[in-house]
Amino acid sequence: MLSDIAYSAIRISTPLIFAALGGLYTFQAGMLNIALDGFMIIAAFAAIATAFATGSLTAGVIAGVLASMLLAAFLALFNLRFRAHIFIAGIAVTFLAYGLTALLLKSVLGQDGVFASDQIPTFPAIQIPFVRDIPIVGPLVSGHTLLVYVAYLSIPVVAWTLYRTRWGLRVRIVGEAEDAALAAGIRVDWIKFQTMLISGLFCGFAGAYLSLGYVSLFAKQMTNERGLIALAAIFFAKGRPVRTAAVALLFGLATALSVRLPQVTGAAPQLLQLIPYLVTILAMVIVGIRTTRDNAHNGGWRFDQ
Amino acid sequence: MRFLRPLVGPVSAVVVAFLIGGLLVALLGQNPLTVYGLLLSGSLVGWANLSVTLQLTTPLIFTGLAVAMAFRAGIWNVGVEGQMLMGALAAGIAGYALPVPAPFHVPLCILAAAIGGALWAAIPALLRVYLNVNELVICLMLNPTALLVTGYVATHPLKAPGPTNKLPDILDSARFTNYSIFSQLNTGIFLALAICVAFAIFNRSTVRGFEWKLIGLNPRFAHYGGIRVRRDVLTIMMASGAVGGLAGAEQVLGVYGAFYDNFSPGYGFDGIAVAMLAGNHPLGVIVAAFLFGALNSGSSVLQMELGISKYLVQVLQFIVVLILAAKFSFAFLKRRSPDDRVPPASPVPQSGQSHVTET
Repeated sequence: MLSDIAYSAIRISTPLIFAALGGLYTFQAGMLNIALDGFMIIAAFAAIATAFATGSLTAGVIAGVLASMLLAAFLALFNLRFRAHIFIAGIAVTFLAYGLTALLLKSVLGQDGVFASDQIPTFPAIQIPFVRDIPIVGPLVSGHTLLVYVAYLSIPVVAWTLYRTRWGLRVRIVGEAEDAALAAGIRVDWIKFQTMLISGLFCGFAGAYLSLGYVSLFAKQMTNERGLIALAAIFFAKGRPVRTAAVALLFGLATALSVRLPQVTGAAPQLLQLIPYLVTILAMVIVGIRTTRDNAHNGGWRFDQ
Repeated sequence: MRFLRPLVGPVSAVVVAFLIGGLLVALLGQNPLTVYGLLLSGSLVGWANLSVTLQLTTPLIFTGLAVAMAFRAGIWNVGVEGQMLMGALAAGIAGYALPVPAPFHVPLCILAAAIGGALWAAIPALLRVYLNVNELVICLMLNPTALLVTGYVATHPLKAPGPTNKLPDILDSARFTNYSIFSQLNTGIFLALAICVAFAIFNRSTVRGFEWKLIGLNPRFAHYGGIRVRRDVLTIMMASGAVGGLAGAEQVLGVYGAFYDNFSPGYGFDGIAVAMLAGNHPLGVIVAAFLFGALNSGSSVLQMELGISKYLVQVLQFIVVLILAAKFSFAFLKRRSPDDRVPPASPVPQSGQSHVTET
C-alpha cells in the first residue's frame, strides 16, 4: 500500500516536475509565466495526434515539444515585442490553447470530450538491472517509463545551467536587476526569449508525458491545473531548482494520496487536493510578513509596483 | 466623431479575430461565411435564440464588470471565478436553509452572495495592501481553492440526497422570475444592467469614482494627492468581489435553482475578455458581454448543425484579448517618439533659455 502510493507519487509528479523546471527559467529571468497549462495542453494534443497518425512515439514527443515551443515563442513575441502585459497575454494564450485543442479534437480527431485509441503506441517500462533487485527502493525506482527518468535527471542539469554557467548567471541577473543587466550590455529581451523557449521545451515534455505516458488518451483541459500547481511549487521554493522539484514531488504525493485515501478511509479528496494551493498562499504570506517587517517604515504598500 | 475614437481599437480587434477565426474555419474544411452566418442567425434570429443569448450574456455582464472595476483601478483581480463560486455557494445555502417570507428572501440571497464574493476577494486584497503580496498569484491560487471548497461542501456536509453533487434545491420564494420558455433568462439581467449603469454614474460623477481611476493610473501620485490608497484598494477589491458573487447568485437563483458542484464553464475568466474588450468601461461591458454571449449561444447551434466545436468561440474571444493587450503597447511605443527615446549625450542649453532649469 505505502510503496504503491510512493510509486504512483513518482509518476504523478513527473509532469509537475517538468512544468516546474520549465517555469523556473522564466521565473529566474523575472517573468511570471502563467501559461504553463496552455503550453502543456497543446503539447499533449500534438503529441497524441502525431503518435496516432505516425505510430511513432519519438515523432509524437517531438511534435509535442515543437508545438509547445511554438506557443511559447508566440507568447514571448506578444510580451517582448508587442509589450502585452505578461499576465494578460499568459491568460489569453492559455485559454486560446484550451479552446484550440478542444476545437481540433472535434474537427481533426472527431471526438467530443475524450480521444483514445489502441493504435496509439505506449512507452515500455524500463527495468533497471541490479537496481530493481534492491529490496524496498528497487521496485519504486525501477519500472517507470523513459520520460519519468528524463524528468528526474533534468533536475541537476537545470541546476547546473542556472548556477554554474555564464548563461545562467545572465538569466539570474536579468531577473534580479534588469536595469543593471541592460547597463552591463546583456541582451535582456533575448535572454528572456530563450528562457521562454526553454519553458516551452519542458512543458512540451510534460504535455507529451501526460497524453502518451501517464495515460494514453487526450481529454479537453486534461492538464487539470497542473501548470498552476507547478507554479505554486516554484513560488514555494523561490525558484531554486532542486527545492522546486522536491516541492513538486511533495505536491505529487498529496495528489496521489487524494486519489488513494478516500478509497480507504472515505475522506473527501478535495481536502487533500487543496494542499498545494493553501501551502503556497501560506508561504507567500510568510514571505510577505518578513519583507514587510524589514521595511516597516512605509508599510506594506509599495507604490512603485 | 470624437466620441467614436475609443471604439476603434476594440472594433478592429474583433474584426481581426474574426478574420483569423475565418481562416481557421477554412483550414478545417468549412466555409467561413456559412459558419459566421449560422453564428449570427443561431444567436439573434427569433426569440428562442435571442433569449438564450440574453441568458448567457447575464453572467458575463456581472463577471466582466467585476474584472473591469478592479482593472480600472490597476488591481489584477483575476480571481472572479472563485468569487463567483463563493457567491453562488452563499446564495445556494441562503436559498434553501433560511425560510424567510417571500419579499425578503431574494434580497437576502443576493446580499449573501455579495458578501460571500466580497469576503473571498478580501483575502488577496488584505495580503496586497498589508503584506505587499502579488494579488494576481493569490487570485490564481484561490480559483481552484474555491472550486475545491465549494465542491467539498456540495459533495459532503450539505449534499442533497441523490446521485448529483449539489445542494438541496432553493425554496420557491428565493427564485428569480423566468421570462422565457426557451431558456433560463431571468430577473438577474436587470440587476446586471442596473449595476453597470450605477457604476458608470459613480465613475463619472463622484469624487470617489475619480479617485479610483487615479489609483489605477498612478498609485504613488494618488497617495501623495491625499487619497487613502490602502483603504480604497481594499474597498475596490471587495466591491469587485461582491459583483463577482452576484454572478453566482444569478446562476443559482435564476438558472439552476440550486448550487451544483462545478457549474461554471469559466464565466470568471470570460469576464477578463469582456473587460478587456470593453476597455474597462461599465457600459462597454454590457456591449462586450452581449457580443460574447451571442457568440456562445450561436456556437451551440453551430455545433449541432455543422459539427464544429463550440470552442471556436473561446478561440475568437482570447484572440481578441491578445490583440487588445498588444494594442496598449503600440500606443506606448508611439508616445515615446524617437526624439525623446535617445537623449542627447550632453545637454546643450538653448540660447535664451535659463541654465538653471537643467538639473
